[in-house]
Amino acid sequence: MSVAIHIPPSLQALAGDAGEIAVAGDTVGACLRELVRLYPQLRGKLFTAKGQLLKGINIFVNRVNIFPDVLITPVSDGDIVHVAYTVLGG
Amino acid sequence: MALNTGRILRVDLSNGKVRTETVPEKIATDFVGGRGYGVRYLYDEVKPGIDPLGEENKLLMLNGPLAGTTAQAVSRWMTCTLSPLTGTFTRSVCGADFGAWLKFCGYEMIILEGKAEKPSYLHLTPEGCKLLDASEIWGEDTKITQEWLVRQHGKNTRAACIGPAGEKLVKYAAVVSDRRTAGRGGTGAVMGSKNLKAVAITASRKLFLADPATYEELAKEQVKTILANSAFQSHKEWGTTTTQDITNAIGIYPVRNFRYGQLVDYKPVLGAEYRKMRVGDIGCYSCAARCGKVHTVPSGVYAGAHSEGPEYESIWAFTGSIESNNIQASIAADQLCDDLGLDTISTGNTIGFAYELYEKGLLGKSDTGGLELIYGNPAPMVALIRKIGYREGIGDLLALGTKRLAEKIGRGTDIYAIHVKGMELPAYEPRGAKSQGYNYATASVGASHCYGYAAQDIFGAPFPHPTDRFDEGNADIVIFNQDQTAWHECGVACAFSGGWGWMPLFGKLVTAARGINAYSDAELDTVGARLFNLERAFNVREGLGRKDDFLPPRIRTEPLHTRQAKGEGQTVSHNDEFLDKYYALRGWTKQGTPTAKKLKELGLDFTVKNMAARGK
Repeated sequence: MSVAIHIPPSLQALAGDAGEIAVAGDTVGACLRELVRLYPQLRGKLFTAKGQLLKGINIFVNRVNIFPDVLITPVSDGDIVHVAYTVLGG
Repeated sequence: MALNTGRILRVDLSNGKVRTETVPEKIATDFVGGRGYGVRYLYDEVKPGIDPLGEENKLLMLNGPLAGTTAQAVSRWMTCTLSPLTGTFTRSVCGADFGAWLKFCGYEMIILEGKAEKPSYLHLTPEGCKLLDASEIWGEDTKITQEWLVRQHGKNTRAACIGPAGEKLVKYAAVVSDRRTAGRGGTGAVMGSKNLKAVAITASRKLFLADPATYEELAKEQVKTILANSAFQSHKEWGTTTTQDITNAIGIYPVRNFRYGQLVDYKPVLGAEYRKMRVGDIGCYSCAARCGKVHTVPSGVYAGAHSEGPEYESIWAFTGSIESNNIQASIAADQLCDDLGLDTISTGNTIGFAYELYEKGLLGKSDTGGLELIYGNPAPMVALIRKIGYREGIGDLLALGTKRLAEKIGRGTDIYAIHVKGMELPAYEPRGAKSQGYNYATASVGASHCYGYAAQDIFGAPFPHPTDRFDEGNADIVIFNQDQTAWHECGVACAFSGGWGWMPLFGKLVTAARGINAYSDAELDTVGARLFNLERAFNVREGLGRKDDFLPPRIRTEPLHTRQAKGEGQTVSHNDEFLDKYYALRGWTKQGTPTAKKLKELGLDFTVKNMAARGK
C-alpha cells in the first residue's frame, strides 16, 4: 500500500528536498512514523517527545483536515496526506 | 425573530451635529456587516476624485454583527476610507476592546464627516455623543493620550486615537487602540486631517442580538470548538513570533529592500529568542488566544524598551528590511511606532528603501542629518522612526512613503521603491511565494499580505488545491483567498481564527445576531465576491486599472538571492499573463474593470452606470 505525504516548503530541506514522499502505513500516525524513520530530522518538527503531533501542525487526508483524531485516522492505498502549518503570519 | 441590522452614528465634525441611522435590511442581507458595510457606504458617500485628506473624505469605524458577545475572536474592528497613501478604497483592521465597546453603545459604524474647527475628540456613551476639546492631548503620543482619556472619563473607557504621526499627516499614519493598531493605508492621517485626536467610548457590556437564546447556544459550541483546536493552541503559545523561522528557512524573508530572501544569520531572530524577553500575553476582547506577546528588553542599548509585539510583520520590518538581526532594536522600534501611531510595515519598508538610497549615494549625510544608513546597523533606523513620526528633517520626506519619495527624488529611484499602488510590500517575498505576490498586485488596498493570504504557498495548505509556490498560474487560488477573506471580514472575525475549526458556525451566528436567514456557505461566498467587486468598482471610479496591478520592477526583473534556501534566481515574470487569467476568472474586462454582467450578477447594478461612464 502506498500513501503520498506532501511536505510543506519549510520542511522539505529536512526531507532530501522532496515535496512528496511515498510511504506505507494503515493510519496517518503509521505513515508519519515511517516518514520520520526515513528522515529522522523531521521527528522534532512533527512530534513531541511523547510522540504526539506538535501543536500548529495540520494534517489533511485527501484535502480534508482530519483534526482531532489525527494519528489514528485510517488511510487507504493512493490517499494523499498533506502536512501543513497553521497560518502563523501577520 | 427580531431584526437587528445594525445602527450607525453619523457625526459631522464641522458643527458637532450627530444623528443615528439604521442599516437597511437589504444592505444587511447583501453585505453582512464590517468590511461589507464599509465599502457599501463609502461607495455611496465618497465622491470620486476628492482629496483623501480633505473635508469631503469620510472615515468609517466599524465592528461586526458578533462584536461584544462571548463568541471568540469576533470583536475586532476596522477603519475604512479613501486612502491618502494609495488613492484607493482602504480598510485597516484592529483589535483590543474598542470594537466591543462600540457595540455596547449600540453601534456598528461611526461615520466621521467634515473637519473639526480645532483639535477635538469624540466621547461616546450609550446616552449620547459629544465633540470635546483635545488641546491638552494634541501632540501627545498614543499611550499618554489613552491614559488621559481614562482619567477624564473613567476606567470603563476605551479609545482609538492618533499620535503625532496622524496629526502631521504622515501618509502611513495609523489609528491606535490600547497597543493594537489599524496600521495600513494611512487612516490615521485621515483622522488627523479632520482635527480628530481620538474617539473615546465609555460603556458597560450590553448585547444587541435578534435571537439571544440561539446565539448563546451557538457561541458555546464555537468556544468549545476553538479551545480544543490545535491551531488555536499553537497561536496562543506563540502568536506570530515564529513565522520568521519559516520564512527565512524557505527564502522568502525580504532582506535589504527585497534583494535577498534570507538573513545571513537568522538564528538570533528566531521565535525562541523573542521568547526569552517575553513578559506577558494580551489579546482582544473575548479571545482566549491572547496572542499579543509582550516583550521588555532587559539590558543593553535598548534596555527598557517595552512593546506588545513585535508580531511577525513588525519583526521583519525592523530586522530584514535593514539586514539587522538585533531583536532588541526591533522591540524598541515597534514601541516607537505604536507610540507615534505609525504603520510598522510601511515604516520598515520605507526605511529599508532609504538605506538603499544611501548605499547608492542617492542620499547622503547632509540629507539624513548626519545619520549613516548602513545595512546591518539598526541605530539610524530607530532615529529615523522618530523623525518620520514628527516629520523632522529627512523624516518629512520619508513620511511620504516609497512611491512619492521616489517621485520626489527622481534619478531613477522608482526602481528601488517596493510598493503596489503606493502601499509598501509586507514580509513575504513574492518571488518565492507567487500566489502571495499576485495577491499583493490585485488586492483592492495595495500590497496587503492579509487581503488574500496564500497559506497554500507559504505553509502547504492544500485547499482548494495545493500549489507550487514558484508557479505563476494560480489565479483561482488568489481569488479564493481574497473572497474568503472578504466575507470573514464582514464579521470582523480574526484572520487567524479562520483556521480554528469554527467557520461552519459563522453564518448561523450572524443569522442569530441579525435575525436574517441569508448567510449559508454559498451565500457567504457570493458576499465575498460582491465586496471585492464593489471595492474594484470604487477603485476604477478613482481612475485605477490594469497598470496599477503590477508588482514592483525589482520583483519582476531582478533575480532573488535566497542565500541557503531554495528559489535562487526567481523572478515574477508573467504578470501580464496572470492578469489576463485573473480578470477572466473575475469576470472583468482586459483593463480590469468589472463587466456589467458580473456587477448585475452580484447585485451591484447601481455601479454599472459609473463603470460605463468611465469608458472602460
